[in-house]
Amino acid sequence: MVKTRTWAAVIGCILLLAGAAAVWLWLRPAPGHVAEIYSDGALRYTVDLDRVREPRRLTVEGPRGVNVILIEPGRIRVESADCPDQVCVNAGWLSDSASPIVCLPHRLVIRLTGGAGPDTTAG
Amino acid sequence: MRRAAIAAALLALFLCSCAPQARERTVFAMDTVSELRVYGGEALLDDAQEILEGLEKSLSVTDPDSEISALNAAGSARLSPTALELVEEALELCRITDGALDITVYPVVRAWGFTTGTYRIPGREELKELLARVDYTGVSVSSGTVSLPHGAMIDLGSVAKGLASDAIRDAWVEGGAKSGLINLGGNVYALGSKPDGSPWRVGVRDPFGESYLGVLEVRDAAVVTSGGYERYFEQDGQVYWHIIDPKTGYPADSGLSSVTVVGREGLLCDGLSTAVFVMGKNAAERLWRSRGDFDLVLVTGEGEVYITEGLEDCFTLSGTYAGKEVKVIRRG
Repeated sequence: MVKTRTWAAVIGCILLLAGAAAVWLWLRPAPGHVAEIYSDGALRYTVDLDRVREPRRLTVEGPRGVNVILIEPGRIRVESADCPDQVCVNAGWLSDSASPIVCLPHRLVIRLTGGAGPDTTAG
Repeated sequence: MRRAAIAAALLALFLCSCAPQARERTVFAMDTVSELRVYGGEALLDDAQEILEGLEKSLSVTDPDSEISALNAAGSARLSPTALELVEEALELCRITDGALDITVYPVVRAWGFTTGTYRIPGREELKELLARVDYTGVSVSSGTVSLPHGAMIDLGSVAKGLASDAIRDAWVEGGAKSGLINLGGNVYALGSKPDGSPWRVGVRDPFGESYLGVLEVRDAAVVTSGGYERYFEQDGQVYWHIIDPKTGYPADSGLSSVTVVGREGLLCDGLSTAVFVMGKNAAERLWRSRGDFDLVLVTGEGEVYITEGLEDCFTLSGTYAGKEVKVIRRG
């Protein structure tokens, strides 16, 4: 009897974990459409691009300057920055890009997470 | 009931302990952004950051206090063991590639503005005068001291990131890590396999777009790509990129859009990616046949993709390239 109850509890636990995993998988955003914004190596913002309905702007003030980030449904870019080289602005939209947008002077990085793509990209 | 609770706790512990923890860090050094991921202790990331910052301090040509700047200014200098070894290995690569890689091309690269970002097209006379100073065979190394010919300057930028990735790999292996991913501004080293035992999937950047053109599945390998898209400027409708042919003084025009070198050593792959971009496909094939320590993915100006046979089983095209033909270069 005790044995049966033990196994029932174990199976119950497994079912509960599976259920929790299913709910988590279902609720979490589609991979590859979550943008992470890092400033000076630290994660500052996480944006689920699929849940963006209206375009909005995000001003990121780093230790060395300011980047204005434009977020639209499904995509994200640096709209303007007071950095000297403007590489981040010229990088354009980050939507299916393999490489992150980087503003080296301001130590800002925007990248997409997860997805079915490779683990990293050479180039 | 108590036994059930213990069983559940053991089960939870088992489920959690399966995956070793990934530690990640972004480091800004060596004029680029580096993404580090390792399965092991936090100290491994500290080691990697220390290596990157130390090499930047020693090798940067834009930092007037670096060892290399001191050498360029004085024409002769005693270097630290690391810098000295890098100079010797870089010179060996210059020889192997018959000068397609030339660490003394720096005065020309500087004249084009690629080190400062103030781009310009140097005049013919100016280039002629600068090219007279470009010759790696004039660099001599003797008992810890490097001497340059009159007016010559060196830049180790074409091999420094490769050396850095090798140094980080060595530190991680010594620290007990079995799995990790090093990406130094697009210069990749994949340590071991992924924690689940499958190979690392490394994308190869599409030289004509923002995405990747294919994926390499590798273990314990460096993957280094060079292309004109990395740094360039446009003037009067003409594109000028940062990889300069040491023989002409103009941006390399070998018919290749990007070169990816795969091998065990990051330093070799780094130096060769630049050299192959300069020498072009035919010379690259000859070089590849004469050696056995690297493989290539070549993308021509027309978007054709060539691989050497060692990559046949681990390279696949993706995205807009999927379905295109991959031509295999064979030894026979």
